[in-house]
Amino acid sequence: MTLNILFGFSAVVCLIGLIIRLSIWFSQGMSPPAAPAAPVGTRMTEALKAVVGSFFSAKIFLIIKSVFVDLLFQKRIFDKSVLRWIAHTLIFSGFILLLLMHALHSVVTEPLFKDYQSTLNPYLFLRNLFGLMVILGVVIAIFRRITLKPQRLKTYASDWTALIFLLVIILSGMLLEGSKMASQSTFQRMVEDVSLSDEEEVKALEAFWVQENGLAPTNFQTAPPAEIVAKGKEINGDYCMDCHASNKAAFASFTLAKISPIFFAVFGDALTVKLLWYLHILACLAFLAWLPFSKMFHILAAPVSLLIKGVTGDQIREPANILTRQMIGLSACTHCGSCSLECSSNMFFETFQNDFILPSEKVQYLKKIAAGKETDPAVLKQMQQGLYVCTSCDRCTTVCPSGINLKELFVSSRYTLLKEGMPETTMLSHFSFPLALAQNFVDDHLQALKKVTDIFIKSFQHLADTSSPITLGTSKGFGNTTFRGCFSCQRCTNICPVVRSYDDPVEALGMLPHQIMFSLGIGNTELAMGSQMIWSCSTCYLCQEHCPNQVELTDIFYSLKNSALKKVETGVHS
Amino acid sequence: MKYAFFQGCNIPIRIQQYATSTTAVLAKFGIELEVVPTFNCCGYPARNVDEKAYILPSVRNLAIAEKRGQDILVICNCCFASLQKAKNVMSKNAQLMEELNSILAKEDLHYSGKAEVKHYLTVLYQEVGTEKIKAQRVNAFTDLNIAVIQGCHVLRPREITHFDDSFVPRITEELIGTTGVKSLDWQGKLECCGAALAGINNDLSHRLLREKITGAQAAGAEYITPICSYCHLQFDTTQQNIRNGAAGEKLLPVLLFPQLLGLCLGIDEKALGIASNSTIATEDINRIKSLLGPPTEEKKKKKAKVAA
Repeated sequence: MTLNILFGFSAVVCLIGLIIRLSIWFSQGMSPPAAPAAPVGTRMTEALKAVVGSFFSAKIFLIIKSVFVDLLFQKRIFDKSVLRWIAHTLIFSGFILLLLMHALHSVVTEPLFKDYQSTLNPYLFLRNLFGLMVILGVVIAIFRRITLKPQRLKTYASDWTALIFLLVIILSGMLLEGSKMASQSTFQRMVEDVSLSDEEEVKALEAFWVQENGLAPTNFQTAPPAEIVAKGKEINGDYCMDCHASNKAAFASFTLAKISPIFFAVFGDALTVKLLWYLHILACLAFLAWLPFSKMFHILAAPVSLLIKGVTGDQIREPANILTRQMIGLSACTHCGSCSLECSSNMFFETFQNDFILPSEKVQYLKKIAAGKETDPAVLKQMQQGLYVCTSCDRCTTVCPSGINLKELFVSSRYTLLKEGMPETTMLSHFSFPLALAQNFVDDHLQALKKVTDIFIKSFQHLADTSSPITLGTSKGFGNTTFRGCFSCQRCTNICPVVRSYDDPVEALGMLPHQIMFSLGIGNTELAMGSQMIWSCSTCYLCQEHCPNQVELTDIFYSLKNSALKKVETGVHS
Repeated sequence: MKYAFFQGCNIPIRIQQYATSTTAVLAKFGIELEVVPTFNCCGYPARNVDEKAYILPSVRNLAIAEKRGQDILVICNCCFASLQKAKNVMSKNAQLMEELNSILAKEDLHYSGKAEVKHYLTVLYQEVGTEKIKAQRVNAFTDLNIAVIQGCHVLRPREITHFDDSFVPRITEELIGTTGVKSLDWQGKLECCGAALAGINNDLSHRLLREKITGAQAAGAEYITPICSYCHLQFDTTQQNIRNGAAGEKLLPVLLFPQLLGLCLGIDEKALGIASNSTIATEDINRIKSLLGPPTEEKKKKKAKVAA
């Protein structure tokens, strides 16, 4: 009765969780600001149309292929790491098989196999085998999380919780089975079940079970004599074997049975069995209730995400479906960290010390942003930088085992955040190159770029603004001192392809290359940092190569850009 | 000979044909390229932002190659320059080297400078040599005018890149010469394609690119051969983007050097991924193939000249 209430409760919680998670699929999105957010109804109909359309077209073959290749075989994991594939397959298949054969025995196994008895082989053996598979998989997963930490694999409490949950479920089950093997009370109950009443025979049977089936030797001070055991074996054959195979088949639980007497000494054997039963059942029910609220939701979301990838090849045109796809993607993330391990930008994380540079960490937070739950400007600024410090190599999208279209998510989120109006200084870097190439959100890009340039213009003194003579600077030296060799021959300016590109270069660039060297010469670094020239430098190194006095102009421009950005950044934060 | 193949970020996703054609060509000369999945970005995109952020990734990549006991072969000029720059900075700044090594130590990596960085043209020129290349040709081009754009970061600054004479580079010229095509003298050959300004100052970036396109066409170029992957993307993608408004302009199609050489070595055009260049049309490919013929011996020509 209590069990039914508990089960009902966790099933309801699970169901509510599923409804919440599924409603998020159709109500939230990292909406590209240009596209008006579609109402939930439209998104559901569009999604349904797409799904039905796929089923009744040639795409059905893609679905079938994806079910076998991506869902059952999990090829995307296999391609990246065989060890990870082994771990995941062990957990996945072990857990599913236990669920079907053991947890749902009355619904699945019994109707399928008429002679099903949990205490008979192969079921007795298989339960342990499947359990051991899960344990092995979890151990490999834990090992992976620990050993890959130096390579920027982040593990949160929620990741450990998932692994520990699995371990608790399986180990409690094995301990429960082991304690039942060792328990005198359970033995007595079975004796009663088979209506064995002759005391001599019971004693002999008990001797045999102590010897062979893991029963705790409560009533035997010393090992039972061989002839009694032999007699017990006969009785076992007559009374027990029809519905109880040797406990040795349940190899894992049989081994664990040996530690049961420790618990028996404290709680007594009947209570130990009961407590472990509660532990096992409660762990399973808690897992069921927790599932939709955790990364375990990927059990549902990842297959959906993989099927969408398999069918659409990440080419979705309908705007409503793009949003829905984004949310399905976000919910399919297992925080496995594959993307971050292979992220081409992951070394920038070491310098910028911004977790959001790592794709896996971005995804965790984008869920919050999509829900409109994150409003702290400091966090949003961090996220914006994390989204921008990206080489657009698309590796994350290629490696994601859940088939999430991370690239599309990140591009949309990047411009959604930039739209908020916070200036992003890393826009003034070559991270912008692939974005210009792809021509995504061109207007948004230009607007956001203007915000940075405006701040930049405000932050520095400009040659054109100085009505009075240029002052000697107060800056305490500049790292690269080769500017001291400049004697203003203007070779740099004359050869510069950028200077050549403008009718009025001084107006467009603020200062010309040789003038920048001059301002450094008089110690006015500020003025040099404020010139548009450094940002218009094409970094072709012609000036530096042609300088008759080895002034490293291009390198100096790079340093000026670095310093200017740092100054602007500190200004933005203060 | 086996190299750790450094493809960078753009090539694997945007210019796969550069990697496949280079691999196919080098394989003809017994040079094997091994893809190293742990390599990450060379650091170049962060150079405007932070010098250390720029150097560290390359130091890590070099440390990975060092651990594998291999030298690095690069096809992207910007990656090449970043790796060479990192080596240069490390050799001059022991304190920084120690600091970066302490970051790498977490991953059980260490940089000591053992791994060398080589541009694929250097390998073709020095390790294979033009004579051997010529000997292995099954075909050569006649009447094909191309404009080479060297890409800035392989040539300059010369103290860092150690590639070729930065004023009168000849390695690329001599290598192109083996295919029989005519590499034109044109204004933009050693200049900037505008890539470094893309997304920062698009107008200027496009202006520099247009200048190169018209310059090459004015010199009579039928195709452009960019050495750097950034130049490639400028000519193969941005060229089309900026042409949208003016469909009348003539497109300057891209042909990569390993694709040209590959055709001469008898490698199938599909293996060279020529059709993957988005500026090239099927009739272009047919025309290029029609210009291929049995390689003529230069010696005979010389003799003929003497006789004349």
